[in-house]
This record gives sequence, C-alpha cells and structure tokens, in this order.
Amino acid sequence: MTEPGRHITEEDLHAYVDGRLDTERRAAVDRYLHDHPDVSESVTAFSAEREGLRAAFAERATNPLPPSLDFARLVETRLTRRQAPWRMAAAVALALGLGGASGWALGARLPSGIDALAQEAGASHAVYSLDKRRPVELGAAQRDDLTRWLSNRLNRPVAPPDLSAAGYRLLGGRLVAAAHGAAALFVYENAGGTRLTIYVRPMKIVETTPIEQVDIGDLDGCAWVERGVGYTVIAAEPYKRLLELSKHVRQQALAPI
Amino acid sequence: MAGVLSSIEACVPALRRYAHALLRSPQDADDLVHDTLIRALDKLHTKRSDAEVRPWLFAIMHNVFVTQLRRAKARAAKEPLNVINETVQEEQEQNLRWRDLMRSFNCLSEEQRAVILLVSVEDLSYAEAARVLDIPIGTVMSRLARGREQLRQMMQDGAKARPCLRRVK
Repeated sequence: MTEPGRHITEEDLHAYVDGRLDTERRAAVDRYLHDHPDVSESVTAFSAEREGLRAAFAERATNPLPPSLDFARLVETRLTRRQAPWRMAAAVALALGLGGASGWALGARLPSGIDALAQEAGASHAVYSLDKRRPVELGAAQRDDLTRWLSNRLNRPVAPPDLSAAGYRLLGGRLVAAAHGAAALFVYENAGGTRLTIYVRPMKIVETTPIEQVDIGDLDGCAWVERGVGYTVIAAEPYKRLLELSKHVRQQALAPI
Repeated sequence: MAGVLSSIEACVPALRRYAHALLRSPQDADDLVHDTLIRALDKLHTKRSDAEVRPWLFAIMHNVFVTQLRRAKARAAKEPLNVINETVQEEQEQNLRWRDLMRSFNCLSEEQRAVILLVSVEDLSYAEAARVLDIPIGTVMSRLARGREQLRQMMQDGAKARPCLRRVK
C-alpha cells in the first residue's frame, strides 16, 4: 500500500476515510483529491457518514444495561456451574493419557451432563420426528402400555405429559439407546404438522436444574434436570414458545402420575 | 483469566452497539448480546491467549447471529413469518440530529451495515472485519465501498420520509 507512484484506488479512498494510510500514501491521496474535486466531495461525504454514525451509536451505547446482561452474574452461572466439570474431566483425561488422538482434551468441551443430554435428544429428534409413517413404537392408543414399558426400562415412573391444551397431540413414544443406557422419547404433533419431541433419561448426578436453552443444530431446545431425570424438549418453534411448553412438561412431570 | 473476563466486560457496550445496529428490535439485540456472552464464556478455553478479545467477541456474535437467522428460516418454513415492525427502532431514535442518517443506514443491507459498523464505528481493521465476518478482505472492501456510496446518495437525495424497502430474512 506504500508504493507512492501507484494509482489511487477506491480502497485507498476508504482507507483514507478510516485513517488507515501511512503518511506517504495519505499525502498522495490528498494530492489526488485536490485535483479531483468530485471525488473529494464523495470522500468528504464518506467522512461525514463515518463521524455521524460514530456519534449516533456512541449515544446508544450509554443506555442502561438490562439485568440479563449483568456480566458478573453471567460469569458466575456459566463458569462455576458448567466450566468446572469440564475442566475436571479434561484433567482426568489428561492424567489417564486419553484424548491425544481426538484432541478434545486440548480444546473442545467433553459433552457431559446437560450437553450430552441435549446432543442425544437432538439426534433422536432428527431421526424419529422426521419419520412420517412410523415415528413411534407404541402409539397414543396404547398410552398405558407405553407408560408401563418405558417406566420399567428406565427404572422410574415416566409418562407422556398431556400437551393438548398447547395444541400438541401425543403420537406415541419409543425406547431409545443412549450412551448410559435406556432413554425414552415421546413424539407429539400439532395441527400444522410440526412435531415436538420430549427426550427423557436418568442423569448420573441427582440434581435439579433450571430450564435452559440448548443448541440443537438448526433448532432450539429446552433442557433441564428434575431430581436426577433429564428432559429435553425440541420442536421447530421459537424459543419463547418452547420455554412455555417446557414449563407445562415440567409441571406435569412433578405431579405424581 | 480475570484479565480476559474484564476485557470481555469492557466490550459489552460495543457488542450492544453492534447488535442494536444490526437488529430491528432492542429486545432481540440484547438477547443476541446475552447469547454471545454465554457462548464466549463457554468457549473461553478455546480462545488463543494472544488473540484480541474484541474481534474474537465480534466473531462469536456474528456466528450466533447467523445461526439465529438460520433457525428463523427453519421455523419460517413451517410457520407464517412474523411481520417485522420497521419503525420501532426509528421511533426510538431520540436524537433528531442523526435520524436521517440512521434511517438511511437502516436501509442498507445487513451485510453492508455489518461491515460499515465494524470498520467505521468499532475501529476494526479491514483484516479483522474480514475474519469476524468470515469473508475475504476484498469482499469487506467492496461492501464498504458500496454501502458508503449508497448512504451518500440517500443522504444527498434527502432522507425524506421515503419508505425503506428491505428484505426480511
């Protein structure tokens, strides 16, 4: 960019506006602008735009922060609750000499807890909810059989919640294989043909966590743990709607069946 | 660690500025900042220690933003699209001095706005902006040039109360 004899390009003009030219090049552009008043006019306008935008946005940045952006709180919830188990897992893996081949101990987070739950739920949703003809093993007509069967296999009471008030009709459910054993998948459908799945499996650690947003590829999901049982709700719905639905699910799971 | 965290916190106003400029609704913009901070904290261990915090955060925000657009599209395929209220942000533009400029700016494509913001307002270098948006530096330059030129023409024609046609993505 420093060749003084080089033609002045459009790039030079913008770098000039942004103050990103060295003195030599800057002087060359100055000379060029002096000889080309029409271009000079544009460059003046670009600089005015730049200054105007900076001033306008500077004002906006001073708006008070909403509570959701309280950084200290974010750090507390994010780093103490989620990062710590990962760090421990990574340390253990390093100590055992694992992870060298896959490289995950060096960078990517080892999926565990909610992340692993959400990942499995996403895979089940993708595979089974897309199956138009046979998304479930036992249909809604055999709800009692379904409940008994899955409760036996998961070794705890599990039943499909009623989401009809929210417009979702139960299609049925199935048993799903997960890394730690059996999991249950309930499949629902609304009048528009959108399918929703609820993935349920026991977690290793008995705890209860708030509902949180999880990444499921192109979709949003909600996941939480209720007294050691993990739940993930997935559908092509906006997150706020999913959250509402998840609250319904959570409430019904709390009530003894 | 504490150093990185305070650097991230210092960037919150800039992230909000950028998000509010990219998105129509202030609520969505703050949600985007929130999701960006969460993602940044989750990815903290993947950040190279010598990498600058600001471009790193903007790159995360860009990725979160693109993912959300993709999700919105996935949903839109199944549901009628919500009509976006174009005027919300403009009405909230308190300072009349910048109203015409902001109105014209909002008429630019999202891609042009992103480049202009990163370069003109957030002082990122062209190379940093290219990395943040994951596009070649030549594309940064051409979007910058085209965006600024369009803005100039709109301002010249007088930013009258002309309806601004914008693609809803």
